[in-house]
Parts: sequence; C-alpha cells; structure tokens
Amino acid sequence: MFQKLWFNSFAAITFATVLHYRVILFLAAFAFIAIESYAQQCNLILRGKVLHQENDNAIEAAYVWILETRTGAVSDQNGNFVVRDLCPGTYTVTIQFLGHKEIRQTINLTSNTTSQTFRMEEESFELGGVEVHGHQEAIQTTTAVSSLYGDALLQSRGESLGESLKRIAGVTTFSTGNTISKPVIHGMHSNRIMILNNGIRLEGQQWGAEHAPEIDPFLADEITVIKGAETVRFGPEAMGGVILVNPPSLPTSKKHVTEINLLGATNGRMGNISASHQGGSKKIKGLGYRLQGSAKRAGNVRSPGYFQANTGMSEYNFSGSVGYSSKKLGVEAYYSFFNTELGILRDAHTGNLSDLTEIIENGRPFSNPEFSYQINNPRQVVAHHLAKIKSHYHLNPEWKLNFQYGFQLNNREEYDRRRGDLNARPSLDLQLFTNTIDLFLDHNLKSNWSGSFGVNVIQQANNNIPGTGVTPLIPNYDMFNAGLYAMEKYLKGPLEIEVGARYDYRTLSAARFVQGELQEADLSYQNFSAFAGGLYQLSPNFAFTSNLGTAWRPPNVNELFSQGLHHGAAAVEIGDPTMVSENSLKWVNGLEYESEKALVEFTAYANQIKNYIYLSPTGETFVSLRGTFNVYEYLQADAFFYGFDLSGSYTFSDRLNGYLKGSIIRAKNTDEGNYFPFIPSDRMDWGFSYALGRESNPNSDRITVGNLVVARQKREPDFDLAAAPPAYTLFNFGYQKKIQVSKNQLNIGFQINNLFNTEYKEYMNRFRYFSADMGRNFLIKLNYKF
Amino acid sequence: MKDLRKLPIYLFGVLALGFASCESNDPEEENDGEVITEVTLNFQELDATGNPMGLVTSFKASDPEGIEVGSSPIIQPVTLTRGKTYRMTIAVYNGIEDEDITEEILAEADVHQFYFLGSAFTSNILSISYDDPSGDLIGLQNILSVSSSPGTNNTQMQVVLRHDLDKNFPGATNPNFANFVQAGGETDLDITFPVVIN
Repeated sequence: MFQKLWFNSFAAITFATVLHYRVILFLAAFAFIAIESYAQQCNLILRGKVLHQENDNAIEAAYVWILETRTGAVSDQNGNFVVRDLCPGTYTVTIQFLGHKEIRQTINLTSNTTSQTFRMEEESFELGGVEVHGHQEAIQTTTAVSSLYGDALLQSRGESLGESLKRIAGVTTFSTGNTISKPVIHGMHSNRIMILNNGIRLEGQQWGAEHAPEIDPFLADEITVIKGAETVRFGPEAMGGVILVNPPSLPTSKKHVTEINLLGATNGRMGNISASHQGGSKKIKGLGYRLQGSAKRAGNVRSPGYFQANTGMSEYNFSGSVGYSSKKLGVEAYYSFFNTELGILRDAHTGNLSDLTEIIENGRPFSNPEFSYQINNPRQVVAHHLAKIKSHYHLNPEWKLNFQYGFQLNNREEYDRRRGDLNARPSLDLQLFTNTIDLFLDHNLKSNWSGSFGVNVIQQANNNIPGTGVTPLIPNYDMFNAGLYAMEKYLKGPLEIEVGARYDYRTLSAARFVQGELQEADLSYQNFSAFAGGLYQLSPNFAFTSNLGTAWRPPNVNELFSQGLHHGAAAVEIGDPTMVSENSLKWVNGLEYESEKALVEFTAYANQIKNYIYLSPTGETFVSLRGTFNVYEYLQADAFFYGFDLSGSYTFSDRLNGYLKGSIIRAKNTDEGNYFPFIPSDRMDWGFSYALGRESNPNSDRITVGNLVVARQKREPDFDLAAAPPAYTLFNFGYQKKIQVSKNQLNIGFQINNLFNTEYKEYMNRFRYFSADMGRNFLIKLNYKF
Repeated sequence: MKDLRKLPIYLFGVLALGFASCESNDPEEENDGEVITEVTLNFQELDATGNPMGLVTSFKASDPEGIEVGSSPIIQPVTLTRGKTYRMTIAVYNGIEDEDITEEILAEADVHQFYFLGSAFTSNILSISYDDPSGDLIGLQNILSVSSSPGTNNTQMQVVLRHDLDKNFPGATNPNFANFVQAGGETDLDITFPVVIN
C-alpha cells in the first residue's frame, strides 16, 4: 500500500496545474540555496531551538550567547537560531529569556553542524509582582496546521463555523442552504473530521448532512485546522482532519477586559451581537474567569432574483469558565450552551420524486415570498450543552499529569410540514448524552524528547424522545469506546520526528421498533492506528513537514441502521448492519516558506481509504401512495483521495499586499472506477489589499479586493439528481479601520460579499437543486475591547 | 487552598452523576401519524336534477404499511358508466394510527387541494368540478361526468393531493391544473387509478 501511495502521489504531481509546478520549482530553488549556504568549508555551525518547557511553544527572541567567542544569536519566531563560523572546541552557551531561568550549558563542537534543543523553565514566583502565566496548550504536530486568528478571525465574525473556515486553503463547506454549513477538510466532512470545543470532542448528530456543528465561533480567539489523520491523538473518526475551537487562555492577573462585537448584514437583515468579559481575582493569585455570550437573528436570505422562503435563523449562545493556575496545579471548569433555530428552505421539502424533478427543472423555487423573520416548518431546533472539568499537575518540571472530563447533552428536534397538531410535534427528536474522560501524562524532557501517554474513554447514549409519530430514522443506542495511546517526539535543532500509536475498542448496542417489531443489534469494533511524521527546518524561513498516519472510523449508526424515507429529500435510504470499519492511510506533506516579504504554504496529500462508506443510488424507485421515491443504499468501496492546497501572500510595498489561496481535490472510487458525490471542485481565492493609513501606521486603514474563482465539478458521480452547476466567479470587497479610542482599539469593518450580485450555485450546497446561492450582502462589523 | 484537597471527591461525584445519566432508554413503538394507508373514491350517481340515485360504489387504493420499503400499494380499478354524472367524494385514512385524515384536510382547507389529471381528463373522457360543501376549493367532494362517447373503455385518472400550496396562484382553481407544482407546496398523495368505462 505504501508503494502504491508513493506512485499515486507522484503521478498526482505530474497532473498538477502549471501553477503548482511553478511553486514547487520556486520552493526547490530556495531549498537549494539554503542547503548550499551551510556547506561552507571549515566553519562549524551551532543550530538550536528554544522552547517553553511548559508546552513546547517556540520562544522568539531568546538571547543566545557563546561566552568564549562573544558571539551570539537571537531565536526566530520558530524558536530557531544559528551561530556560524565556530572553530572546533568546547563552548559555554547561555540562553536568556525574560521570566525564564537562564540555561548555561557546555557544548563540544566537533562535527560540521551541531544541533541542540533548549527548553526554558519559567521563573515566575521568585520575582515579586510578576504575573502568573496561563497554561495555554499548544498542538504539537508535524502535519499541516493552519489557524484563523487576529484580523482574519475578526473579518469572519458573524459567519458560522463552517463559513469562517473557508478562509483556510483546503477547507470548504458542505452546506444545506445558506444557514447550515459543515466544514470539509480535504474532501472529508461529518463523521470523518473532528471538532473540538475547548479540548472536548464535539458530539452532536454529526452524521446528518443537514446537521451543522453545534458551536459558537465567537467563543474562540483562535480556530485551528489540522489537515492530517490525527486518530492517535484525538480518537477514532479524525480521519480527514481536526478543527480546534479554542477560547483564549484564562486570565491570571486582576486586569479586567471586556470585548464587544456588533454586526449587521443586509442580506437576511442579520443582526449579531457578542460580548465577553474576563478578569482575575485580586485575592487569589492565578484565579481567573470568563463569561461570553452571543445572539444572532436573521430572516429570509435573498438570492439575486428572489427571496428564499423560510430561511431565517436565530441563535443564542453562552459560555463561562473559571480557572485556577499555580506553578504546579491548574484547574479549569467550563460550560457552554449553544441554542439555535433554523428555517429550512420551504421549497426544498418535496413530497415525492416528481415534485423533486419539477423543481430541479425549474432551477429556482416556485414560491415568491416576501422578506420575513418568521421561522416556520420545516425547521430545526438544536440545543447543545457542554460542561468540562480539566486539571493538570506538574509532577516535576518535566512531567505533567492531565485529567479532563466532559459531559455533553445534545437535543435535536426537526419539524416537518405536517397536518394539524402534528406540526407542533417534531418528526425527529433525539437526545444524545456523551461522557468523555481523558487521562494523560505529558513529558517535555530537558533532553531532546517529549511526548504523551494516555487513556481516553467515550461513553454515549442516544434516545429517541417518543411521540414524534414517525418511525425513528436511527435507533436508541449505547456506545462505549476506550482508547490507549502513546506518542513520542524527538527534537534536535531543525529536525523534529514524531511517532505514535493507539489501540481502540468500541461496542455499540442499538434497539428500536420497526413496524411493531423490536430490532436489536450488538456490535463491536477494535482497531489499531499509528502515525509517523517529521519536520525539518531547512533554513530560518523554510520548513518541510511530512506525516504519514493511519486512521479508522467505525460505521455510523445511520449507515448501519437507516431504513426508510428521508423526509423532504424524496429518498429512501437503506443501511447495512454488517458494515465494517473504514481504514485510511493519509500522507500529508507540507512546504512552508516565510520571509519578510513572502509567505508560501504548500500542502500535498494522498489518502487511501479502505471500505469507504457512501450513499449510492440503487437506480430503483419505490412506489407508494405518495408517489415515487429514489432508493439509496449505503455501500463500501475503496477510495483514493489526493490533492493540493496552496496559500501565499506577498508584500509588494509598505502599503500593497497580495494573497492567493487555492485547493485541488481528486477523489475516486477505485473499486468502481467512478467518482463520489459532493467532492469540492477546484477553487482559488486571490486578491490585493492596500493600506490607506498615515505614514506612521499605514495599516490603520485597509481596503481589500478579493476574487473567488470556482471551477465546475467535472468529476461527477454516475448518478446525480442534477448536473453539477457551472463555474462561477465572485468579487468581494472589504474595508477595515482601526481607531484608537483613548487606550483602547475600535475595529470597524465594512464588507460587500458577492459585489456584483452574481447568480451562482455551489456544487457543495445540497440546495443547489432548488435555489441559487446568496446574492449581494453588505456587512458592517464593530469590535471594541476595553 | 484547603478546598482543593476535596477536589477529587467532587470530581468523582460529578463523574458518577454524568455516567449514570448516560444510558439509553428502551425504545418505544412509534405509530406513523403522517402516513396515509387508504384512499377511497366514493361514486354516487346523480340524476338530471342533481339528486342522488342508486347505490354508492367505492374503489380503494391501499398500502397497509404506509411508506415502507418492500410493499407496494394495491389500487382497484374504477368502473364508471358512460354518459353518467357522479358525485365523487374522497376519504383518506391512516390505518396505522386509526385516524381519519379527511377531517384533517377539511380543517386545513386553506392549504390542501386535490388535482385530477391523466388521460381521462386530457382525452375529455371525464370532466370534473369541485363541489365541496364548504365552498372552499379542496376536492374532497366533486361532480364528475363521463362522456357519452369516450372512444375507449380504458383510461387513467391521477389523483394528486397538494399540501401547502398557494391557492391564489393563477390557474390553481382548475381541478385539472397540470402545473400544480408551480403553486408551491408538496405532494401528499399521488395515485393513478385505472378507469374502466362501461
């Protein structure tokens, strides 16, 4: 299999666009220069990396000094430093960084290049009045990672999690209309990716294409996407990638900070407010808290030619946390509540196949509604509670014991258009309880080793709340999963190597009544997964990463047990209880170049999946008194995914910046030799931004003009209700202004999305069958921190 | 920080509570309330003055399992006599829940309407007009006339029940409105009865 992967990826590169080819050449040229530069004869080089002992985060601007030669260096943003022109001999190296204990070490230089990792320990308590630092956890991985934070996150405010993440190359959305969107990483979504809300894996009814992640993006100050297979670290199902929604670390000082976001949009006449307040205790050093809440209300979305009926939404979210942090002990309690009501496009709810074909032929909804905030059936009402307790204890400066417990309750009610009193009763009413326990031991040794060993337990119970008047789509079930894992990383100067392995055992017992008959099933799955990865910092501004990981996903309850009409979709779906787990092998390679002017990130990946589960049309129809329906069944086949992501930016001058992001995905059913449905088509987003501010601070005012180009999906499955929509191009405009109000900063943003009100349909939107996507939208965004 | 010593106790308390609540309930049987299992067309012959004469004849389409894979509906052919006029009423029933859906349709007269299509109407063998006692255009009661020279003995009548439509849509008042989908809404029933003309 490994060989096959090699071959396929290589072939993939030959098929890549000229654009990608150029980037590779460009990067290869840099690599050459970098390698040549330290092949200088006679002179010895000391390379090193400076990290926080606590969490392995890089320390920038640590001062490295060699006493004997009186030469030194300063670590860069990756914590790396280089001291050149050294003669063979023994040297005393000192490393200093504010608030950390000085490192003094003797090093013997004999070979050409010597590499060493230095971990600095915090000093904190000896110094009176110095703040206690929060314990921010960092993700240590050699796979491709991208984050959304700062200005980019600010610009995405008001969007759902899925929409926000579109800003990251390689991430798209799988949506159901304009209110429901799920993130897609490298062509995978739903149960093939994992979302972590403050470290707890989000457990909702993620199997459904129309089930958006139950999370408030406002609670995060950073959203990170890991594009590799991370089953070892996070458990089964993290096959395509992981999304980490992380709130800022809790304050430990007594300073109080309040942040307010106010947003408005013309399309859907959306209003959105979010506020957070954080502070620390005066009496107890290290005690901090945060409260955060947001509310959102929107009405019917407008496509360029018409309003979409019943596409309003409302959302109310709250989260709070309190934590205590001392030198050895950290304890945190966290609670978040997500509550939403979503209208589903009225016209998308069809009675039978002929209804469906008629509206697809029409290309747009038959109804011509006015604007309204009202949310009628069909609609979804979802509430999600998440509570967690986390604590860690430093056994000694090198070893840390962590414990985390999370409780989740997900309530999902889906209302259909029905008759009479039934309208007030949901047709789907599910309650999902999840307990998760993580216990793990981290170590960051003074030597070059770091790693983690742990156990992870998930227990889940799903209930159908009786009284829906509809045979449940999925049964009541109990699930239990236990995993045991170990990861170790070796760090030596510019080189990082990590390996990890995990064993999981899962049981599932399900029961339900179908036509008066009790159906029961007891299933169990076990699996072993492992990964190996490396990072090599070729030069201070050029790094290469490679990660090969296996992942697995047990079949989901809906894939096993679905049987019956998927209301509104005019489809009968049939599951298969004999299905086996999916197994994947994903290889991700990344090249990153960062200089003063340019930033280029290139990711290439290949993902081979055995027993990939997909919903396939049988070609049969089913006749009932209500008319005809298509019949779909869940099947398993071997799949091969590969693709490329590119993102880059270039600073032309103090004022002018350019950016480019693009992704290409290819996915094939290697058993049948055909294509899977709903794989994102090739796309590219590029644009320029120009700073208008005064000489002293040009970035205080900035305009951005962007252009999104999306190709038509030419690799369509053999059967689809409608052909893939044509390619489209959209223009977006943005204006950001930063105003200093006394000591605080006010951020004002103005955006126009779909500037020319272009009518388009996105292939990855399931409602492309019924309606065009959203038309022009003016947004105004205010952010103030005080 | 004396409280912290008790922390493990609190922690395990919370854990025990969490895990105790986390067990699925026994499933309960759910009767499909939405499903229609029987549609009956009742034909009462009318004389020239519009008064009923003779016995009512009924023809049924049924699917006892509702919308479930594996079963297909049984549809009885409708037998009518040429040149005669009938009062046709429709009864809709859910045998799973023992519910009379006809009443529900009447109660929601503003969002329900029957349409009658198929060769029987396009070939002018049958003609139909709404005759609901309430005056609403629903189609639960209709006047149906059979042509005296139908030209064929066998034809078809498609009965469609639309839910949630715009009743004011141009053309929607016509019981033979073929473009009913344009008035919005969705289909609750779509049954094609074979019709035999004696």
